[in-house]
Amino acid sequence: MKFTAFTIATVVLAMSGTVASAQDTIRIASPNKVTVLDPIVSAAAGNIEAYGQLYARLLRRDADGMLQPGLAESYEMSEDGLTYTFELREAKFSDGTTITAEDAAFSLNRVSKDENSAYPAGFAPVKEFVAIDEDTLQLTLEHPSAPMLSNLEIFNAGIVSKDDVTERGENAFAEKPVSSGPYMVKEWKPNDRLLLTANPHYWRAGLPKIKNVELIEVSDDNARATMLMAGEIDVNRGVPWAQIDEVNESQGATVNLEPSTVLYVVLPNHTKPPFDNLAVRRAAAMALNREAMTKAVTLGHANVANSTLSNALTYYDKNVSPPSYDPAAARKLLDDEGLVGTEITMMITPSAEQVATLLKAQWDAVGFKTTVERVDAGLWWSKLADADYQVTTSWYYNETEDPDLAVRWALCGACGSNSYYTRYNNEEVNKLTDEALRETDEEKRAELYRRIQEISVEELSQIPLYYSPFSNGYSNRVKGLKLTPALQWTLEEAELTDG
Amino acid sequence: MDIIRFIFWRLLQSVPVLLGVSIITFILMAATPGDPIRLLVGDRATPELIATVRDRYGLDDPILSQYFTYLKNLLVGDLGASLRYRVPVSQLIAQHYPVTLFLVLYTIVLTLPPVVLLSVWSARRQNGIADQLIRILGIFGLAVPVFWLALLLARFFGVTLGWLPVSGFGETFGEHILHLFLPALSTTIWVVPILVRTLRSALLDEISSDYVVTGLSKGLGERQVFRTHVFPNSILPTLNLFAVIVAYLLGGSVIVETVYAVPGMGKLMVDSILARDYFVVQGATLVFALTTIIVMLTVDLLSALIDPRVTP
Repeated sequence: MKFTAFTIATVVLAMSGTVASAQDTIRIASPNKVTVLDPIVSAAAGNIEAYGQLYARLLRRDADGMLQPGLAESYEMSEDGLTYTFELREAKFSDGTTITAEDAAFSLNRVSKDENSAYPAGFAPVKEFVAIDEDTLQLTLEHPSAPMLSNLEIFNAGIVSKDDVTERGENAFAEKPVSSGPYMVKEWKPNDRLLLTANPHYWRAGLPKIKNVELIEVSDDNARATMLMAGEIDVNRGVPWAQIDEVNESQGATVNLEPSTVLYVVLPNHTKPPFDNLAVRRAAAMALNREAMTKAVTLGHANVANSTLSNALTYYDKNVSPPSYDPAAARKLLDDEGLVGTEITMMITPSAEQVATLLKAQWDAVGFKTTVERVDAGLWWSKLADADYQVTTSWYYNETEDPDLAVRWALCGACGSNSYYTRYNNEEVNKLTDEALRETDEEKRAELYRRIQEISVEELSQIPLYYSPFSNGYSNRVKGLKLTPALQWTLEEAELTDG
Repeated sequence: MDIIRFIFWRLLQSVPVLLGVSIITFILMAATPGDPIRLLVGDRATPELIATVRDRYGLDDPILSQYFTYLKNLLVGDLGASLRYRVPVSQLIAQHYPVTLFLVLYTIVLTLPPVVLLSVWSARRQNGIADQLIRILGIFGLAVPVFWLALLLARFFGVTLGWLPVSGFGETFGEHILHLFLPALSTTIWVVPILVRTLRSALLDEISSDYVVTGLSKGLGERQVFRTHVFPNSILPTLNLFAVIVAYLLGGSVIVETVYAVPGMGKLMVDSILARDYFVVQGATLVFALTTIIVMLTVDLLSALIDPRVTP
């Protein structure tokens, strides 16, 4: 009897159709997790995507990617480039309290100086942020920094409430913060979803237009594709290349290819044989038909990379180029060095399987003997950071259009990350990186970054593979939403329509 | 009274089992290379920050000392906190466990009626067309990979027909039923054939046993013999297999949970292993172990209830 009632209930519910979603909620599924809501303690992709919704910054980017006043209504820079003065506008936190210069100073000193700050690189030149009065914030630098304003817009420069952090404690704050951005936390279900609702006190009047946001974490690519096509989510972050056509052919959803600063590269370990040898790196580069690889892996959706910098960055040099495809010359080079038959081990994570297969085939064809070592992301990072690998493949992105952070991360051997842990260390590149940071003359900076690219491409600090756009799937109900190159959703101006 | 004593003893026996499970999991996790802190703070963190955070979580301490700290906390009911989310492990388990439990119970509810119906039908008409058909379908059910079947069902019922949701858990009981229908069905299709095979062969064994033949020859009705003797006697081996399957479903839920984006324990477990979130893996393993112990205990009690010769 009970079972009959159960069955009937099921059937009735099934007949009533799938659960209707409220028009005022946008559901975004991403493979990236939200793990912590404190903007300074993590630089993992899922968190970066969420921080932008929770915390407003002094500056913001408009739809064209240009820097605009944010919480700071205006700013002035001293002639020597060492002091910045920001005038804050009248704005409130989600609990209704006023956002003061004291909050801004607290937040930004935290990012730049706190020992828990996961990514202080952009704020290294900062001497101090000081609140002059209620609305005036002053930043003093140790030395001039050309990308300083850009860096004040990146994900971890969000303004948090000093009272909230100090009174409730960092742990309580990190779980349900008082926010300054367009949204605030409604409920957080770790390892599942983050539910946001519009911040009624957000300083941009009338925004955001969409009332609720669900950031859902779905690791499986197929599951996300099915959910988008079934109308259970509105946005699918990261549609695999092979599924783009399927999504586009389905009714009600489209994949947009959005500009990014993402660069896929082969990372050689410069401190271990055989990749410590430039001839080996050259042979490895010449063995690769990068055009064909890019086409095969991304089905023609990405561009072949020519530089060690993303083509979306300022001062990107389109004239540099790694050695072109020439397997015969590659083999000869290995032969001359007596290195034909050199055994190499390529460490990869499951996401790089396809690229690895192509790399292996082409390398083996010129005389390497490649073994693929498969590890999970946890082990990959440990081994990478310990330089316990020969060669691997990965990608990275840059938070701003200014190349400083990218160069600091991937090419500079003295900047903390050992050139993306490849241990590539060229004194001149290190020096140029520092000079370029301090140089405020546009033309001179361009020349410095041109030189950095020239040297690093010549020495094959990394073998660039391709520049990849973001491929996000959107329900046709969604208007005005995109993911910026800085991994931020433009949710505050987006709308939901009837399709 | 005997039963209460039996339950008490069995639960007491589970203490060393759980202790063993916790030791093995702890050692395995500690022996797994990979740094949880790197995954916690993101790609761009400096080595100094990683060292600081590792020290704060006590991950630099000797493994034995880490284990005893863990055990001490466990004794006062504290499962520790997630390294990634900084929330108590118990909170994460409370959030994910009911989902998986619901899914497993739902699978059982969907599984039992067809198992009983098909086995009885099959056994009573041995080698008939229905029997052959059921056996062939059973082989298909067993042979089809669950993840592939789940994917097909999701695309067909969710996208093409738009009848059923293909993800999530929902908010209300009705929504749970709807959202978990396809995940439960996918598992059911795989479990039913196993149980049908077992129950069918047990039924056939019993039908041809001497006491049934004697009973029938003395004029007892076929239906009555089947209902009161054959069926209860055949159910025991199936019940034991069933208990093993339920325990397996708990752990194996990760496949359907992944394909249908169901926020259950399987997902929590795998994500935590990948992120080296030690205390969550520990806590989840203990909960799985405890559930398995309880399922086994329940089956033993049920067996005693069905067959008085089985003493608890």
